[in-house]
Order: sequence, then structure tokens, then C-alpha cells
Amino acid sequence: MSGYQTGVLVILCFNIIAAYAVYLPLAANQLNLGIAGFMAVGAYAAAWLTTELNWAIAPAVLVGGGASALVALVVATPILRTQGIYLALATFALGQVISAVFLNLEVVGAAAGYQVPAYAPAPAVFAATAAIVAVVFYLSRTRFALYLTALKNDATVSELLGLNVRALQIAAFAIGAAIAGIGGGLYAHHFSFIEAQHFNVALSITTVLYVLLGGTQTVWGPLVGALVYTLLPEVLRVGAGWRYVLFALFIIGFMAVRPRGLVTPDLGRRLGAMLMRRARPGKAVP
Amino acid sequence: MIAQQLVNGVMLGAIYVMVALAFTLAIGILNFMNFSIPGLFMAGGMATWILIHRGVPWWAAAVVALIVAAAISLAVERLSYRPSNEGDVEVPLVSSLGFLVLLQSLVLATVGSDQQAFPAVLGDLNLRIGGLVIGAAQVLSLAISMVLVIGLTVALKSTSFGRQIRSIAESRETATLLGIDVGAVIPRVFVISAVTAALGGVLFALNYLQVSPFMGENVGFKGVAAMIVGGMGSVWGAVLGGLLIGVAEVLSIRLFGADTVDIAVYGLLLVLLVVRPQGLLGKPPAREKL
Amino acid sequence: MTGTPLLRFEDVHLAFGGLRVLQSLDFDVRAGEATALIGPNGAGKTTVFNVISGVYRPQSGRVLLDGRDLAAVAPRQRIRHGIARSFQNVRLMAHLSVCENLMVGQHVKTNGLRDLLAPFRLMGNHRWRREAIDALAEVGLEAHADAPVGGLPYGIRKQVDLVRATLAGASLVMLDEPAAGLNPTETNALRLHLERLKARGITLLVVEHDMHFIDRISDHVVVLNFGRKIAEGSLAEVRRHPEVRAAYLGIEEAA
Repeated sequence: MSGYQTGVLVILCFNIIAAYAVYLPLAANQLNLGIAGFMAVGAYAAAWLTTELNWAIAPAVLVGGGASALVALVVATPILRTQGIYLALATFALGQVISAVFLNLEVVGAAAGYQVPAYAPAPAVFAATAAIVAVVFYLSRTRFALYLTALKNDATVSELLGLNVRALQIAAFAIGAAIAGIGGGLYAHHFSFIEAQHFNVALSITTVLYVLLGGTQTVWGPLVGALVYTLLPEVLRVGAGWRYVLFALFIIGFMAVRPRGLVTPDLGRRLGAMLMRRARPGKAVP
Repeated sequence: MIAQQLVNGVMLGAIYVMVALAFTLAIGILNFMNFSIPGLFMAGGMATWILIHRGVPWWAAAVVALIVAAAISLAVERLSYRPSNEGDVEVPLVSSLGFLVLLQSLVLATVGSDQQAFPAVLGDLNLRIGGLVIGAAQVLSLAISMVLVIGLTVALKSTSFGRQIRSIAESRETATLLGIDVGAVIPRVFVISAVTAALGGVLFALNYLQVSPFMGENVGFKGVAAMIVGGMGSVWGAVLGGLLIGVAEVLSIRLFGADTVDIAVYGLLLVLLVVRPQGLLGKPPAREKL
Repeated sequence: MTGTPLLRFEDVHLAFGGLRVLQSLDFDVRAGEATALIGPNGAGKTTVFNVISGVYRPQSGRVLLDGRDLAAVAPRQRIRHGIARSFQNVRLMAHLSVCENLMVGQHVKTNGLRDLLAPFRLMGNHRWRREAIDALAEVGLEAHADAPVGGLPYGIRKQVDLVRATLAGASLVMLDEPAAGLNPTETNALRLHLERLKARGITLLVVEHDMHFIDRISDHVVVLNFGRKIAEGSLAEVRRHPEVRAAYLGIEEAA
């Protein structure tokens, strides 16, 4: 694999991790517009542990994810009292506050940024990404995921059927934050440098955009969204500045014609039927 | 000197008022969280700067910039708002975020990421009242935003267009039954909202003598905060919220330094969203029926 | 007359702002019976369901389930105490399949975190799925198990809503206009299904406008008007009641 290919794959991995961090709360009807803030918590916590306390990278990254989940748990209860647009705006404000706090935090370099000597090579990033994807896919096969879809469809009825809607939403929000934190910790150790300005609104927003581009009704959507977002500009060989222009045009056009995203359950069923037809030629599938 | 800081805060607040007004019109009338508005704010300032660079007189440049913003806003209406009238609420929101990314990255790709100096077209006309110094551009911003607010209030209350808008905000079905051409009124709301936001961007450039691709993200988003603080959908809430955020920002810079502004403003917003999500002058949301 | 009261309303008052929705309401739902709640539109029938589910909290009075005051039981916990319901406007989760909707209905019978995190969708024909399909088979809908609910005809969605309400093992099932919008064949199937539920000892509380249907299934009728009980007894008895005749004046003739 060339250095260029490895570089693209690493970026793809970080985008996939971020996508699932946004997807989980979104599956529970929570639009998190502040995911960059949670990445920052994980990144700074893990970097501080390896740099100042000489921890090994793996436990530091996991604790970084835990720290991010902890922040999510602390803010979840009051924030999730708000719903819909208010919740989205509260997460937006939270992301801004977190990134502004790191901009002022002297122990991790404040505005000058933070050097991270411990290095996580590309294969480590690949392995961690695979593990996160595996965990999310596992979850998608459980009642937990079933209940998230249920409460997203109708929270009142879910509650009357006995679901603890609040606890499920907090769990989805916190697991999403943990994933974002792990992604942030890996990012810090792969690129050896972090600065608060990296974890900005644009990062949060573009992540949400490609997740919705992929679609949030199935667990495949975020993966496809991250793939399209990362690889399409590479394939088309557009300059760095124009890739976002292209991406934004893509999003707008797409939302106008296919607002449920690229991957929908319906698409899955149709693909399934096609494969069946292939497998059993001559037998018509209605 | 605290009085001078308050004056500066109010003048900055006047800009936030305009962005908050643009947001509040969209959410109050159309129930649309239109995230393209910070982009239109930036487009207003940036287009004016580009045209001045090409030798266009500043006032003509500003007028063209407003027309450009209005045209973009009509595209937002057509591509983000209209297709998903019955669908999820998040789809138009996300699509309008797409427009924000589009505008910002277009400017980044063509002009670059640097902050650009905006010419001091109004000279250094300063008013001195007692010990206070007030710039001509500041007075102009405050005057224009107040004229807009009062004009909008009067128009919403007593013109037939205003009555049509209010009945659409109340219930789209009833408005249609009353014979209002909803399809014709809505694009006009988008134009008004866009012109308000872009005018904010132009006035920001005139006041602070700078434009950048990130001005929408840095300044325009504070308008969201202002709208929520004041109460979504309330015109006077936008005024109150805008002025409060302006003053809070100037005072926190004065007291704690420039890097703490986002903590103060967005922290305030976060607390408010939790404690009183309907804002200072807004109405609490209705309860669900089974 | 069989049984003790499973559910009892004692002097229940509910008002929204100045609007009195339920006034001094008393009635019993006896265990093992089908009690019908009838009355003109706006009489407060669905409101009674919402009070029992805990969606609304009465200002005064008590609602007792097996002698226990429901005020202390959170809405989410009431299904664990045996109260389940269907909805007037059919509230199924549109993005889930029929079978998945029913699995959500099984929730209270599952076993905490272990079942929550069991990857049952990886295990082909899991017992949860079989249970759901068996329940569907009772109403002859097993063929629709994997159909997304969104595209199904109203009559079928209505029956799925009802089946979901019965999967939690509830002792009291509330049905909000179960026959509305059903064709005669479907209505007949519904009636047979309700008979089966009753035979299993499930208590039914039914809001319905179709008097013929009520006549066939109910043991006891409570009539509401403007949030008050104006009569109760057998359908024949309440029909003779002067206040009921006044409340329904014109409605019976029109029907």
C-alpha cells in the first residue's frame, strides 16, 4: 500500500468512527451538532495521559472515550429534557463551549496546540475502527437498537409500552460520545498534534451531513456516507478547496430527491430480492 | 470605561439582532431552522468586499450583495424547504446546513481562508458625547436594525401581507382555506429573511473593517444564540437577545480576554436552553395529543 | 354478575385550564368482563384511557387497580402492572415491521440488560419472533410478519395495534374504537378475537361507537357525557335511560 493510499484509508477510518458517533444518538432521535466537542474531550484526555503520565496508548484512548462518555452523562440529563430543535441547538452550544474551554486550558497548550509524542501507527487505527464498527453492528442486532427505532418513531407510545425512553436516549447519547472520544484519542496519537481549533463547528456539521447522506434508518448508512464523503473527492481528483463545494452540492441535491439517505431498509429488501433471483434463476420473485 | 463598553456591546448587538431576526422569521413563520442564514450573512459581507475590489462603488456593491443573498435564499426555499414539507424536520435543517457549507467552501476555494481588510468607506466620522466615542458606522447599524425591527412589527401587524404571514404562521391549512396563496407568500418570507441577514453582514464589514469566509460561523451563529435567548419566533425577542449577547460578549472580552467569548456566549445559551428553552419572550411549546 | 372490580374510578376530576374534562367520575371495571365506555364525541372516553395510562394526572380522586392507587405508578410502569392499550388513531412504529412492532410490545416480559443486549436478530428464528408470529396467526395475519407497517391497509394496522397491546401479558386491555374503519369481515374477526381474550381471563375496557358491536361483546356499559357518568348497566338498561336518550338524540336515528 502506498503512503497516499494509507493516508486516505486512515482518514476514512476517522470519518467512519465520527459517523457512528453521530449515528447512535440520531437513531434515538437526537441530532448531535456538537460531536467535535466530544472528540476533543477524548483527544485531550488521552493525549494528556500518554504525555504527562506516560500511559500506554490503548488504555489512554479507552479512558479518553470514557471521559467523553462521562461528559455526555453529566450533561445528558438536563440537555435531554429539551427536545427536537432545542436539543440540536443545545448540543451545538455544548460543542462550542467544550472547544472554547480547551482553547483556554494551559495544561494542554491552550491556543498553541498540544504535541503528542506517543504514536499510533495506521494498522492500530484500522484495528480500532474495525472493532468499533463490529460493536455497532452487534448492537444493531439487539433489542437496544429495536427500541431506539421504536422511540424515534413514537416516544409516547414507546413509554406506554414500558420502555424507559429517557434511559435509552441517555445510553445512545453516551455511547455515541464514547465512540467520538475514542476517535479523538486515536486522532491525537496518529497525527501527534492537536489544537482546539480543529474540533470546530464545521467538523461537527460535516459529520452530521455525511451520516444523513448515507441514511440513518439502517446501520449501513453511516458507513456508506463516510465512504462517499471520503473517497468521492479522491476518485474525482478535485482540489482540496473544491471538495467541500462538491460535497455540499451533493448533499443539497440529494436531500431534495432522496431525503431518507442513500441506504434505506427498502433498498436492503430490494437488493435481497435481487440476490434471491440471481441465486434461483427461473423462479420469479414478486 | 464601562459605559463605552456598554455602547460597543449594544452596537455589536445591533448586528446580532439582524441575524436573529432572520432566524426568527424563518422559524416563527415557516417552522424552519434555516442554517443557511449564517452563510447569507457571510455572503452579504463577502460579496460587497469582492465588488468593491472590482471598482464598484460601495453602496452599489452592498445593494448587489443583498440581491445575491436573496437569490441564494430562493434556491434554499426551492431545494431545502419545499421538497420536504411533510417529511422529517431534520431534512430541511440538514439541507440548509449543506447550503452553509457550500457558501463557506465556495468562498474558501475562490478567495482563500485569510481575513480581508474592508475599506473604511464611511471615513472616521466619530460622534463624541460626553466621554463616549461612537462611530458613524455604528450609528448606521443601530439605526438600520431598529428601522427594520419597527418596520417589520408594523408591517406584520397592519398590512395585508403581514396578516397573510401571521395566518400562515398560525396554521397553513387555515390560511389556504382563507384563500391565501401560501406558495407565493413563502418565497417572499425567504427573501426578507435573507436580505436582513445579508444586511447584517454588510454592516458588520462597515463597522469592523474586515470580512472572512468564517464570519458566518463566528458572528452569524451568535445570531442563533440571540434568537434562542430572546425566544424563537418573537421579533422583539430577537432584539432583546441580540443586544444581550452583544453586551455579554464585549463585557466578557473586557473582563476575561478574547478567547473566553465562546465560553460565555454559548455557555449562557446552554444554560438557558436547559432552564427556559422557550427563551425570555417566547411561548412554551404545546403538549402532545394522543 | 361475576368478579370483583379490577379497576375502580373514585370521584375523579380532571380539568385543562378552565375546561372540565372529567367530573366526579365513579365506575368499576370488573375482572374478567368486557366493559364498554360509550358517549357522544367529546364525552371524555379517550381521556379516561389517558388517565388510566398515566398520560394525564387527575386533579383529585383516585384510580385503583386491584385496590392499589395508580397515582404512585409511573406511566411507563403501568404496563408492568397489567395495563395495556391500543390507540384510537393506530400508533404503530412506521419504520418497523409488523413483527418488530410486536417485539416492542413484548418488552415488559423480557429480562433486563441481558435480553436488551442479546443479538436476537443474528439467531434466525428466535423465540421472541416465534411468539410474535404465533400471536399474529391468531388473527390470521402471519403472512404480514415482515412487512413494514407504513404500507399496510388501515384494517390490518388496526389489528396489529391490538395484538401488540395483548403481548405484554396484561390483565386489562383498553381498546379505543377497535371496530372503527373495519369492514364487516374484519369486525367479525375482531369480535372473535376479543372473545378469545376474554376466555383467557383478560379484562377488556372498550370505547366504541358501533352499538351492534357493543351489544355483542360487552357485559357492562358505562355512559359518559361532558365528562360525567350519566348511566350504567346492561346496554338494554342504559338505552332506556332518559339522559342517555337525550344525549344521543338524533344520533341513533341517524345511524
